[in-house]
Amino acid sequence: MAAERHASVTWNGDLMGGSGTIDEVGSGAFGPLDVSWPARSEESSGGKTSPEELIAAAHASCFSMALAGGLAEAGSAPERLQTSAAVTFVPGTGITRIAVTVLGTVPGLDAEAFREAAEDAKRNCPVSQALGSVPEITLDAQLA
Amino acid sequence: MAWQGSLSRGSGVAQAGTGSFELPIDLPSRLGEAGGKTSPEELLAAAHGGCYATSLAGEVARAGGTVERLDVRCTVTIDEVGDKGHLIVSSELNVRARADGIDADGFERAAQAADEGCSFSTMLRASATVSVQATLES
Repeated sequence: MAAERHASVTWNGDLMGGSGTIDEVGSGAFGPLDVSWPARSEESSGGKTSPEELIAAAHASCFSMALAGGLAEAGSAPERLQTSAAVTFVPGTGITRIAVTVLGTVPGLDAEAFREAAEDAKRNCPVSQALGSVPEITLDAQLA
Repeated sequence: MAWQGSLSRGSGVAQAGTGSFELPIDLPSRLGEAGGKTSPEELLAAAHGGCYATSLAGEVARAGGTVERLDVRCTVTIDEVGDKGHLIVSSELNVRARADGIDADGFERAAQAADEGCSFSTMLRASATVSVQATLES
């Protein structure tokens, strides 16, 4: 079954001096969120989000769901997964690296089996596959 | 992202490093009715729409135009594909623009160049088709 999700963005003015807003998303879960080029490309974002931060949230949540699904299928449903995805953006080049770290609380599972399940989720979650051309996606998976 | 429980009955919360958002996520709202919850695909749609909008703002200026306003709507679709399971299969960008100093042909070229220059368009093509429909409003 296909699921469609949409977001609407407004941009005012030029790239460097202008700014945009993610006005609304289909679910109504968030928005409006301000975005700008400096918030995207400079070290300090000034509390504004960016396409890269949204990619990080998309990837961390997709990975977590795939890992929860894989673990449950193998008979070890997780109690808790804490995942972070750090996206590195180089203006003019794009996303060069995504570093995924996950800390899992999974009763009855050893560290090696958890790492294998996490590798599997990293390879196969839909967002990982859509981001297949990112040069480097790293994974650090540990049990709490 | 903090996730608790199994895939089908568990749920999670996605938090932004900048503090811009904190959003609940679960499986039923990802593949069925959203029910007010976001999903990885909706976050991708917001990311791709945002990336394309900044790219187009740059391209219109490069073509000598001045952007007054760009409205970008991005729709991302996830679907089950044969034995590959769920994949992001498409991302569609619909754009309405108000800009001075650029004609329809020039704008069309800028919209195309913006797609080529938006790194997310390139990335998403690893599993999805990306399409752009852009209109310059007079």
